[in-house]
Amino acid sequence: MSKGDLPKLLSALKEFGEVHGPVRYGKFHSFRRVDSADEMDLSYTRTMIPPKKYFVRPREEILRVNLRRGYELLREEPRNIVLFGLHACDINAIKVLDSIYMDEHPDPYYASRRERTLIVGISCLPDDECFCRSMGTDYAYDGFDLFLHDIGESYILRVASERGESLLEGADFLKKPEREDFMRLAEFERRRASMFKKELISSHLPDVADSLHDSDAWNEYVSRCLACGSCNLVCPTCRCYDVFERVDLSLENGVRERRWDSCFLRSHALVAGGLNFRPTRFDRFVHRYNCKSGINVETGLPYCVGCGRCTVFCPAGIDHVEVLNSVWGVVR
Amino acid sequence: MELQEEQFVPKPAEILDIREMTSIERLFSLRFLDEEYERSFRYMPGQFVQLSVYGVGETTISICRSQTRPGPLELLVRRVGRVTNALHRLRRGDVVGLRGPFGNWFPVEEMEGSDVLLIAGGLGMAPLRGVLQYVLDRRERYGDVNLLYGVKSYEETLFREEVLEPFERDSGFRSFISFEKDDPFYEELMRRNPERVRKGVVTVLFELADRYLDPKNTYAVVCGPPVMYRFVLRELDRRGFSPRKVYVTLERRMRCGVGKCGHCIIGGATSITYVCKDGPVFSYFDVLSIRGAI
Ligand SMILES: Cc1cc2nc3c(=O)[nH]c(=O)nc-3n(C[C@H](O)[C@H](O)[C@H](O)COP(=O)(O)OP(=O)(O)OC[C@H]3O[C@@H](n4cnc5c(N)ncnc54)[C@H](O)[C@@H]3O)c2cc1C
Ligand code: SF4
Ligand code: SF4
Ligand code: FES
Repeated sequence: MSKGDLPKLLSALKEFGEVHGPVRYGKFHSFRRVDSADEMDLSYTRTMIPPKKYFVRPREEILRVNLRRGYELLREEPRNIVLFGLHACDINAIKVLDSIYMDEHPDPYYASRRERTLIVGISCLPDDECFCRSMGTDYAYDGFDLFLHDIGESYILRVASERGESLLEGADFLKKPEREDFMRLAEFERRRASMFKKELISSHLPDVADSLHDSDAWNEYVSRCLACGSCNLVCPTCRCYDVFERVDLSLENGVRERRWDSCFLRSHALVAGGLNFRPTRFDRFVHRYNCKSGINVETGLPYCVGCGRCTVFCPAGIDHVEVLNSVWGVVR
Repeated sequence: MELQEEQFVPKPAEILDIREMTSIERLFSLRFLDEEYERSFRYMPGQFVQLSVYGVGETTISICRSQTRPGPLELLVRRVGRVTNALHRLRRGDVVGLRGPFGNWFPVEEMEGSDVLLIAGGLGMAPLRGVLQYVLDRRERYGDVNLLYGVKSYEETLFREEVLEPFERDSGFRSFISFEKDDPFYEELMRRNPERVRKGVVTVLFELADRYLDPKNTYAVVCGPPVMYRFVLRELDRRGFSPRKVYVTLERRMRCGVGKCGHCIIGGATSITYVCKDGPVFSYFDVLSIRGAI
């Protein structure tokens, strides 16, 4: 389809629900509700807060409690959303979250939002901090409904679900791609591949991270780390949450809510008696890298999708790739 | 996909009875208000529930009885923090919320035909009591049953009648007790049963129990404070117990109980493991391959 027909595509998608896309907001980008194509900046690199915010809110009420009657699931007004313009790394990250939140005990809040969200991917070009190519997450094979491959003046539209297909029924702005279009696609992919500057030595990453758990190589970075937890909040695959409960002043009704949590906080691994399984900043720092260096067994995808957010938004300038490569360096 | 809301919404359960066990521990007997649910509620020794006090919050508690024994669900709760303090303020007839049962259990079926060695420290007796009851209720299917229980004093001993019964009469298992504080009751018991009672930490009991232990044909089940594991596992190792036949139950902070909130993750990149759904029961063999497990 021609890029000029984007508004037509959007109005077809609006049949499904509200469209949310990448919007420039001050210095950064953020996924927000959009009404028209020109509100979006489709050449963005990364948003600060990843799309996980649509499925697990930074803070959300999950149960209502009445002090005499007990707990009740809080249901929200169901709402269909089109997440427009997701990059491959974020799509892969959502697949990882899906495997956690929709496994044998599907999380009712996550699952219902996830089912009501249509995902439209878009191809992208890396900046200096992207390393999805090293992680094998620079391409999304599935986990979306539609995907737009940028080939200059137009897009090649990849359809990956029946839902996506049915929304396009009768769309007269779609044309069958020609041979040249596919050549442009190949050219685009070649150019994109050559643009990655950062490389994480990801071979044997799980083993390396594990076996160097006690290495001094971490120290230099640990001593700079502020333990602020920003890297957790911006990470598209970080999904820890904490739970709180509060009652109103009448002591009659209350809510249980959950909030994004961070393994950098002291309370994360605290158990009764004040015993802490990760008492020091070193323990917590290494824990995070260990967690991010694992492979999700259900999807076969790494827990780090190489989006670069944690590096870009770390107030101490700690570079995820540099940390792991330097730890790798110790073994080589 | 079936949305399992019931896993997330605590079900109301009435406190039928509260028994003072020690100065900080009480045994709560509970029954779900929904009779249908009460009848279908099944659990195994080692599993846990998430217990909510309305308006205060939720906490993780092991089920401390075996379903082979008729009677209500029992939870032994130590008063340590927000939720457990609030629970201790409740009375018979009050209602709490329960989710579960969650987690895996001790392999009581696989253990059939073998001897059983239970090693408990302090509050660790709570989850092991379910195993003990299960085994005693199917007594003919198991060999020798030995309990090594380390406590601080008589006052702090949990399930006193049950663990001390073998000193009075044959109750299907042998009980060994170690105590740490000066304690007239245990000093007297030790004088009468020097081959079963000793002063010190739980590992001093191995010497007493050794002549009854057959490491080749025994399943060992261990539960206690985290520091205890290292010492007990070393003793078991030394005696040639197979790491695949030694089981422990681990404690971690838990919020969801079903593998979502990430708090109970142990292990690193090669072995990310959730205590809530992959455990809380692990074999010593698992523990050796999961870094930071104990
Ligand atoms: C599988 C499993 C089974 C269990 N079974 C049992 C059981 O059968 N019986 C039982 O009594 N317990 C059991 N526990 C332990 C129980 O879950 C904890 O003791 C419980 O979390 C206490 O909840 P609480 O809300 O009352 O305490 P919290 O208010 O959460 O406090 C617990 C402890 O954490 C420490 N703490 C909390 N916040 C802070 C802070 N900000 N700074 C420093 N320290 C802090 C305190 O030392 C406090 O004593 C089990 C735990 C697990 C994981
Ligand atoms: S964002 Fe940077 S400073 Fe903050 S916790 Fe993460 S690594 Fe440490
Ligand atoms: S660890 Fe950093 S680079 Fe990797 S997915 Fe998370 S935020 Fe992105
Ligand atoms: S308790 Fe939440 S992941 Fe285990």
